[in-house]
Amino acid sequence: MVGLDRADDAGVYRVSDDLALIQTVDFFTPIVDDPYWFGQIAAANALSDVYAMGGTPKTAMNLVAFPVKQMDLSVLRQIIQGGLDKLTEAGVVLIGGHSIEDKELKYGLSVTGFVHPSRVLTKKNLRPGDRLVLTKPIGTGIINTAIKAGMASAELTDRVTRLMAALNRDAAGVMSHFDVSACTDVTGFGLLGHLAEMVSGSGAGVRVFADQVPVIAEALEFAAMGLIPAGAYKNREFRESMVTFADTVERTRQDVLFDPQTSGGLLICVSAAHAVGIIAALKDSGIGDAADIGEILDGPQEKIWVL
Amino acid sequence: MKEIDARGLACPAPVLQTKAALQEDKPDGLRVVLDNAASQQNVQRFLESQGFETVLEQDGDDYWVSATCRSDRVQEPRPSPEKETDARKIMVLCATDRMGFGDDALGLKLMVNFLRTLKEMGPDLCRLVFVNNGVKLTIEGSEVLEDLRQYEKDGLKIMVCGTCLDHFDILAKKQVGETTNMLDIITAMQVADKVISI
Repeated sequence: MVGLDRADDAGVYRVSDDLALIQTVDFFTPIVDDPYWFGQIAAANALSDVYAMGGTPKTAMNLVAFPVKQMDLSVLRQIIQGGLDKLTEAGVVLIGGHSIEDKELKYGLSVTGFVHPSRVLTKKNLRPGDRLVLTKPIGTGIINTAIKAGMASAELTDRVTRLMAALNRDAAGVMSHFDVSACTDVTGFGLLGHLAEMVSGSGAGVRVFADQVPVIAEALEFAAMGLIPAGAYKNREFRESMVTFADTVERTRQDVLFDPQTSGGLLICVSAAHAVGIIAALKDSGIGDAADIGEILDGPQEKIWVL
Repeated sequence: MKEIDARGLACPAPVLQTKAALQEDKPDGLRVVLDNAASQQNVQRFLESQGFETVLEQDGDDYWVSATCRSDRVQEPRPSPEKETDARKIMVLCATDRMGFGDDALGLKLMVNFLRTLKEMGPDLCRLVFVNNGVKLTIEGSEVLEDLRQYEKDGLKIMVCGTCLDHFDILAKKQVGETTNMLDIITAMQVADKVISI
């Protein structure tokens, strides 16, 4: 149903009239120092693709690349424990995995989930008039750069670590009760990068209200100091032609909108009639940062207006 | 001009190297050479956030960022005004109604002048304490009574020794300030950063 030609969050294969399989794989190098939290974040990130497709993750397999000669095996045990605990929280069974020796540590998971074929959510079904809802604040790439630079406080580090490790399960659960037309999760391309993917080929345009986008406040300060990951510049360069910023959107906020996210929130297109309801329901489920950040327009096609 | 070679480094290393150079040498200007656009923009932003004006030149694959100190640059962060008042608290203790020894008429004149000019200390002055003969400056007929009343109105705490007023039997004649005791005076000395005794 969804394959390589569609470049979506995960692949979807119809097994029968009422069952489709969602498959996805994701792994990366450590983004936090603590191995246990790295494991949790990697798992939350891998599971997120299934949630973004409207599905329920069921099974997972570990992917490990580990420098066994340089690093103590206890580090690996903590990473895997973190991943396993996150899978348990999500009600997912770990059924295997594979590890290789590598100079650079990498960890991630392959995740399989179920979805009813009629309930598959993709990036490509934008309905003009729909509202855009984002469920997690953005800015984790900039904060992680500041952490690497030793300029983030312990409190901020802890707050952002927990944010990245938070599952998108509850947001997906809420989403299933509303009239949602499309969904994706915000990761490496940044909010505007993922939005550009949604808009491409859709025939629709998007208007984003910059000051309504939930942002980790410190990310704006660090952006002003030049603590911006190279990925944010690449994201901007790649999608610049599709994005028009109003003069009122200052440069640091533009950077945050292109900031690559790790295990970011869901970006949901919901009918305007359901926008207030879905946000109230998200907040009731403890997703306090959820916000209505913009709307789908009839045109101009494939353009993102940031006001 | 100091030069930093940050080529071959990934973010945020070039910014950190630049930051370290600013902290060590506190230069008025510097040049940073970088080999990728992301680091170049980050370093340029960092320097601008630190009060420098920057100019970018490109030489093949290298980016040269030249920075000069802006004229309006604040070198050291200024402490907030609130902190300033916190940082210096001066208590003035007047144990006499005459300034200095020798001619009493001159001493009185000087004392009047001293109390009138004391306002130049500004917010640093936090307590004015009168003991012994000094309490006579706070009673009716004192030449500086109006000045002391103005100080009090402006928020200065004036303390007048009760034992002293009692000793001279002028307790009822006191016109300004708060009648106080030795314990209050000692506490006032303790919290003050500086005590000036006249």
